[in-house]
Parts: sequence; structure tokens; C-alpha cells
Amino acid sequence: MIAEIRAKARELLENGQVRCFIGYEEGTRGRVRPAFVYEPQDVDRLIWDERCTHNLAVYLHQFQHPLKRGEEPPRVGILVKPCDSRSLNVLLHEKQIERERLYVIGLTCNGVRVNGQPQERCQRCSERVPLVYNLVMGDVPKTIGREDYADVARLERMSPAERLAFWTQEFDRCIRCYACRQACPACYCFECVAEQLDPPWMGIAMDLSQKQFFHVMRAYHLAGRCSGCGACEEACPMEIPLSLLNRKIAKEVEALFEYRAGQDVETPPPLATFKKEEELPL
Amino acid sequence: MNATTRESLLAWLDGLSKSMTLIAPQAVEEQICYRPIAESSEIVLDFGRTDLPAKEYFLPSTHVLFSIERGDKGVSIEEPSLERERVVFGLRPCDARALRVLDALFLEEEPVDPYYAERREKTTLIGLACREMSPECFCTSLGLAPDDASDVDLMLTEVDGGYAVQVVTEKGRVLLGDLIMEEWEGTLPQVTGREELPILEAEAWPQHFNHAYWAHLADRCLSCRLCTYLCPTCRCFDVRDYETPNRDIERVCAWDSCLAEGYRRIAGGHDPRPTKMERLRNRFYCKFCYYPKDFGPIACVGCGRCIAKCPVNVDIAEVLESVAAL
Repeated sequence: MIAEIRAKARELLENGQVRCFIGYEEGTRGRVRPAFVYEPQDVDRLIWDERCTHNLAVYLHQFQHPLKRGEEPPRVGILVKPCDSRSLNVLLHEKQIERERLYVIGLTCNGVRVNGQPQERCQRCSERVPLVYNLVMGDVPKTIGREDYADVARLERMSPAERLAFWTQEFDRCIRCYACRQACPACYCFECVAEQLDPPWMGIAMDLSQKQFFHVMRAYHLAGRCSGCGACEEACPMEIPLSLLNRKIAKEVEALFEYRAGQDVETPPPLATFKKEEELPL
Repeated sequence: MNATTRESLLAWLDGLSKSMTLIAPQAVEEQICYRPIAESSEIVLDFGRTDLPAKEYFLPSTHVLFSIERGDKGVSIEEPSLERERVVFGLRPCDARALRVLDALFLEEEPVDPYYAERREKTTLIGLACREMSPECFCTSLGLAPDDASDVDLMLTEVDGGYAVQVVTEKGRVLLGDLIMEEWEGTLPQVTGREELPILEAEAWPQHFNHAYWAHLADRCLSCRLCTYLCPTCRCFDVRDYETPNRDIERVCAWDSCLAEGYRRIAGGHDPRPTKMERLRNRFYCKFCYYPKDFGPIACVGCGRCIAKCPVNVDIAEVLESVAAL
């Protein structure tokens, strides 16, 4: 399949349909990393396998602006897995990217592996085919997971005191490097609450209360917007189970609005919609 | 040389911890970090490299420089200071060298940083030689070695039946006190080195400043602060005043990162390094060009933490090779 991906990327670059093609390449020490291909002759750098975990949609923000003054913003090509495609839908709904400026190659997915380990989120994943694409590649996957929120349920069964102790222990390790936020396609504010100077919502101290505030705030800001791609958790150097927090909120949103982030191109996100007659079963 | 057994070593550390703060590698969930230890049984002795360096005990991620307290007779200013002497046990040679690198700025340049100076002064360093280089390590390219004893007060090397003990400084000799040791006549194990990376001289860096390489490297950078906060030699900080809930004032000093957007923003809103390319490039220029020119040592010790943890594989070893080949 990689031959088809490279051929399509070469064609797009040669025709001038895109200025840059965002995919994956072999990194150092057996790792895979995001690749940015600008020249047709470089497409052979591109690879595709189960180590390709990054959600490349995060890089679309940097192509919103012209590469040179006076030019139009560049058109880009991008590879998306099914979970990434839901992030893409979120960004399209939120008018962060123009669909016409994108050429999306959707890849069917059997789940990715981190350090050779299959990911829990992939085993639960019920979307094996991307939801938005210009061209889809890959075989129809054999197995489809089922979302049961079993991990969230485990957390819900704890008493409030136990849960607080659990999260205190987890957040205490946070070093406020913001890798979670930076790896997240849905975190694109020009100025994050965490760094806003006026008013200064958060202090610079790396104490537990600031860390808790940051993570809870970020989780709430992702309500109905988190596609569950796991990029935050994978980027975290301190191995904090951030997706548990996001998944708890995703579960609530699903129960309240029957909506999953980026589920399709048509349905507007519930928290960006207001109906006068709306009543929430709270 | 003398050697001690594991049991004697741990008993001695327990003794030390009664009068001093003992900081040692500890398992924190899945990670190994330096933490204050209550009992020697909490110490992890078999580890490659700790997930975080010991930097935070000399340049804390957060500390209060002083507080202004309101009382009946007006205001008073309190300056917190370290109450106890400290021992950092299990320091790897790279993390020890990193303190020497920080010394060049905080101790050897005027004005001396009094907070850093006090922490250095009141701390004795017990090194633990590496048995092997971890996959990402490249300390040998930076003029040190996995068993380098030159930056600690006492150096321990794991040998059959215990640890060989090298006394490096007077501070180390004093600390040794009642540690039970026996004469030991073996030879210290040699750690296999690694092919050296090509590192350009500081003077050779400016010619590559405008090379297109930096923009291509920065394409995938997420502009987070991870590499700088895991780095044993990154030392930028921010200082701000805060009101506490009981209306006192605290002047807080906390880590900051040159990779963060807005780090260089100045009055009026201008930012001399507005793009992530400029910020990422600065990280490498700071380490290999500016810092050596201004203060002497290269601000990298080859610990490999940034390589191990960067989510998008910005690999400093690869960068050094690429820059040397530009």
C-alpha cells in the first residue's frame, strides 16, 4: 500500500495540487515520526505501518498562513487514520481549516502499536475506516472493536476520596511541559488560559493545584471535541493517563447528546449549538 | 581502594537520613525519579537513567524567593532557606557534570545566584557509575564517561558483592564517616563507550544560522517544553509576584522554557523569536554556541533524555550530525 501512497503524494506534488504532503517517515532508533514532503522526488521517505501513531491533524494549524508573504495559504495533503479523521471533522466544524485546501488520504486501520504494544484504545475502536477523505486506501479491516468505557467505569466505581487520591497521585508527576496540549489537534487557542497574562488565570508555580487546574480545564475545553486519538497521553513524558479524563467527558457527552466528537461532517458539535427549547437531563 | 556491601551501604544511608535530607532514585509509578527518601528500602539501585534529572534540587521547578507578610506591626520579609544539609545519592556522571555546567553561570559569573549557591553548598553528591550506556546516551561525545568521578564527592561503582568506593573530595571524605568498608583489590569494570558524535566548535555555528535545515527540522516540532524541562542543563526561569489566600505576597521563581510561545515577548508585545523554527533553533544554539562562548562549557551532557522522550523524534544526536554535515 505504501507504493500507492507514495504514487498519490508524488502526483499531488507534481501537479501542484499540494505544496506539502504530511505523512510518516522512518526516524532514528527504530522510531517513526511525522514527515513533511515538499518535493516529488522525496516521496520515497514516506512509510505507513502500525508504528504510525501520531495524529497529523495537529500540523494543519501551521499551514493556515501563507508560507510567503502575499501568497495564499498553501494546499496540503495529509494521511489520516480513522481517529485522526474525527479530529479533522472537529477542525472543519470549527472552521479552523478549509476543506478545499486539503487533500486527505484516509487509511483503514487495524490499530497502532506503541513500542510493539497494541493500544487499548485501538482494541475499543469501532471506526476502522476514516470518516472524511478524498481517497481511501487499505483493506477493509477484519475486526471491529466495541466502545464499552470499561476503564472509565472502573474510575466511576471509586469513592470521591479514592478518585481524588488517584488523580492527585497522577497529576503530581506533571511537569507542566504542555506536550499534551501541543500534541492535541483540538488545542489551538492563540493564547492558552494556562499562559494568559491578563488576567493571569494560572500561576507559574508547578504545584499540585496549578497542575490539577490545567488538566481539568483542558479536559473541559475538549468536551465533545476530543476524538480519543491518544496523542496527549503518548506525548506525556510522565505517563499520566490523560485519556481517562477525556474519555470520562466523552462518555457524558455521548450519553447527553448522542454525539461523538467528529462523528460526521454534518452534525454540528453539541457545545457549539444552542436550542432555546433544550433541556438537559441533569 | 575500599568496597562496601549493599547492606552496609543501605544501613549507612539510613544513618545519614537521620541528620540530613537524603535524596535518591525512587520508583514513582512507572518512573524512576530522585525523591527525598525516608528509608533506604525505598531506594532503587538498579536503574539506567532516572526519568527526570536531579536538577530540580538545585534549580527547583518552583521556589519562593521571599514572602512579604502582613502583621500587626507592619510588614515583614521572610526569606526561606534550606534547613538541613542534603545528600543526593545515586547521581549519574552526566547529571553530576550538568551541575558543573550550571555552576559556570550561577556560581562562576557575577552576580552569584545565592539560592543556587546555598543548595550547592549544603549538598553532598554521591555518584553511581553507569554499568552501561543506555541506547540514547552520548556522554562520551561530550568529554565525560559513564564512570566519570570528577564531578561528585564520592563515587560508587557496582562490583561483585557490593560497591567500590572512591573518595573524590574532602566533603566526600567527611560524609563517609562510619561506612563499613573493606580493602578491595579488583579492577573497576570498564563501560563500553560509543562512537563519538561530530560536534562543531562554538565559532562554527553562526555560519549555519540561516540554513533551511532548521525550518525543516521545526516542521514536526510541537513547540512543547518537554525537552527543556527534562534537560539537566536547561536553566531558564521566570519570576512573578503573587498574593496568597491570606493576603501575603510571595515572589515565586519557576522554570520557563525558550521553546514556549511568548517566552521572548517583550513590553509592547514584540517577540524576537515568534516562530517555532526560531525557538527550536535557539535550543541548539544555546547549548553548543552561546553558552560555551559566554560561560565556557557546552550546555549538554549527553544524557539522552530529550531523545528518549521527544514525542516527534527531534533527536539531538541526529541534529549534531546533520549540522556538522551542512
